[in-house]
Amino acid sequence: MSGIPPGDDRRDPDRIDRRKHPALSGHLELLSRMSGHLAVTLNIDDTIQKALGLIVHFVKAEAGSMFLLEDNATRLNCKASVGPVNINGLVLEADEGIIGQCVTENRSRMVRNVSEDPDFDQSVDESTGFQTRSILCAPMNAQDTRIGAIELINKQGSDGLFSEPDLLMLQTLATAAALAIRNARMAEKLVAQERVNREIELAIEMQRSLLPKPRATTFPVCGINLPAHEMSGDFYDYFELEDGRICFSLGDVSGKGMDAALLMSKTASLFHCLGKSIHEPGVLLATINKELCETAFNGMFVTMVCGIFNPETGATILANAGHEPPLLHATDGSFRAFPASSPPLGILPLEAGIDGIIDESFRLDGGTLYVFTDGVTEGTLGNGRCLEVEGFRDIISAHANAPAAGRISAVIDRLRESSQQRHDDITLLAIDDNANRPHRMSADNPAKLLARLKFRAHAEELQHVREAVRTACEQSGCSPALAQDLVIAVGEAAQNIVRHAYRGVDPGEAVLEIFLENGILEFRLLDSAPPVEQGKVQPVWPEDLKPGGLGVCLIHDIMDEVEYLDTPSGNGNILRMAKFIESDKNGT
Amino acid sequence: MEHDVTVRKGTTVVALKGEIDLDNSPAARKLLLDSINDASRVLIDLSGVTYIDSSGVASLVEALQVSKKNGTGFALAAASEPTRRVLELARLDKVFTIHDTVDAGLTG
Repeated sequence: MSGIPPGDDRRDPDRIDRRKHPALSGHLELLSRMSGHLAVTLNIDDTIQKALGLIVHFVKAEAGSMFLLEDNATRLNCKASVGPVNINGLVLEADEGIIGQCVTENRSRMVRNVSEDPDFDQSVDESTGFQTRSILCAPMNAQDTRIGAIELINKQGSDGLFSEPDLLMLQTLATAAALAIRNARMAEKLVAQERVNREIELAIEMQRSLLPKPRATTFPVCGINLPAHEMSGDFYDYFELEDGRICFSLGDVSGKGMDAALLMSKTASLFHCLGKSIHEPGVLLATINKELCETAFNGMFVTMVCGIFNPETGATILANAGHEPPLLHATDGSFRAFPASSPPLGILPLEAGIDGIIDESFRLDGGTLYVFTDGVTEGTLGNGRCLEVEGFRDIISAHANAPAAGRISAVIDRLRESSQQRHDDITLLAIDDNANRPHRMSADNPAKLLARLKFRAHAEELQHVREAVRTACEQSGCSPALAQDLVIAVGEAAQNIVRHAYRGVDPGEAVLEIFLENGILEFRLLDSAPPVEQGKVQPVWPEDLKPGGLGVCLIHDIMDEVEYLDTPSGNGNILRMAKFIESDKNGT
Repeated sequence: MEHDVTVRKGTTVVALKGEIDLDNSPAARKLLLDSINDASRVLIDLSGVTYIDSSGVASLVEALQVSKKNGTGFALAAASEPTRRVLELARLDKVFTIHDTVDAGLTG
């Protein structure tokens, strides 16, 4: 310690001399303590109670209360009270009594002697037994917003009357309290908003889980749903029935936002559940309609398409309730639309005696059926125009040779060219009749199918491919040496599918078919990967020692004919490899 | 694919067995390269190989190239019929030194 006595302010000219300004020093200390208290708590009730306790203590009042405006500023509610009587919860009209005037007129009041003030309401004293002699009242405002007021009653001491400095003090403290309350309210709002955000995130996750999981690229149905905002009012779904057919659906709920999203979830769930037992699309939609009508809300409705597709035959049954017409893109390049046969769902129940809306049966014949929402056709392009159905057809036609997922991506890419904020969800479903079609036995193709093996395009499946070739060679009477060569060639071709065709893509399925016809052993390998560029399958011996190139050399060396066939739908690849085996069987 | 590594007469003998295809050729490649890096002379016994595809052949080719760079002795031995056929088809039967038997490879 130095020799300077306590209270000597020579070292700090700004320091307040407590002996000269005892009141000011005390005020600042109180403000500092109050700010400290209010800074650590964001709980409003806690804030209010602590602030009032400090104010009452410092101004040396017998009692105090804090009233906050509620119900659109029509009422004053006592949220905190200090003193002999607890009046928490006391509700006054916004302009009632001295405190009401103080708030309404936004001015402080000091009533030194209440017995002389006509505004004083005796009823509280009468009901509580407390005797009010003098009142100090200051309004609380924060940024021009009226929050309420603080009222102090009876100065402690002999006459119990407040003085002018007490009022000034209260005014200062009321402003600090008002800011603290406003901050606490904002914090509460933020916390509430955060909670809502978390719940929305969960809802988004839950809604995404209603969409079907992506399947292998060879699965005939694929779709996409891009919500414009957090939640989607569109949905699509598909699943396999026990008989191998695929039930699919796509819908669009009127309106946007959370209510549309909830109705979407309900409709999607109804489809997923009822679709497993009702195998007539028209009846299924009518049943969903009945359910939606029973719980109709706010005039909301759903446009929906539902169908059943047989991947073996391409046979399709389709029902359309008020939805944009689905389009069938046939293998000859033509398009056919399927307009709605009934109004949207959720508006009116069907007439008595009718159990389903009209559905339509047709075959895809190697083509693709597209079902989409108006978010696709009304989506904005880079040039600011809408895509329209014509634009959609153009993109699909231009990418006819790509797999279905690639065609969908092409449409989405075009719609993403626009920098404009999307207003509508984009949902698109493709039912692709690619499976098995080019290889189905027909009257003009009497070849004998020796084997058909569907395999995952994965390295560990290659041994099954080789085994199938070995067995077929044995059945067709090939010599062991030739069989060994054919195993090498087909093994390399299958390996190429695994290595190249599915590069960067989730391994899908491929198919090996082995035919025997007129002494020709024919192998066909089918995959649904992007079409192979013909130039890349020419042998480049001997420079190219890379296994891929080497494999192609081996295939060409062993096989008599190697070619890629056109796939009717333009999807995937068919590699045909043929070997003349008659001479081998004759031992020549 | 199975394998067996032994050291005989100062030569690391790597015996590959079973089918070598895309599924296990990465493991075969690692085994061959590790052997070449650890030994001064490596002999690959192919007598137990029942099938080898182009990815397996590529591993052998890469092993040959690395051994040339490293100065490690590298040869194949006792090629099974399926292995011999693939190497013939790939015109690689003259690129590799292929001994008829492992014993011949050890003395050769």
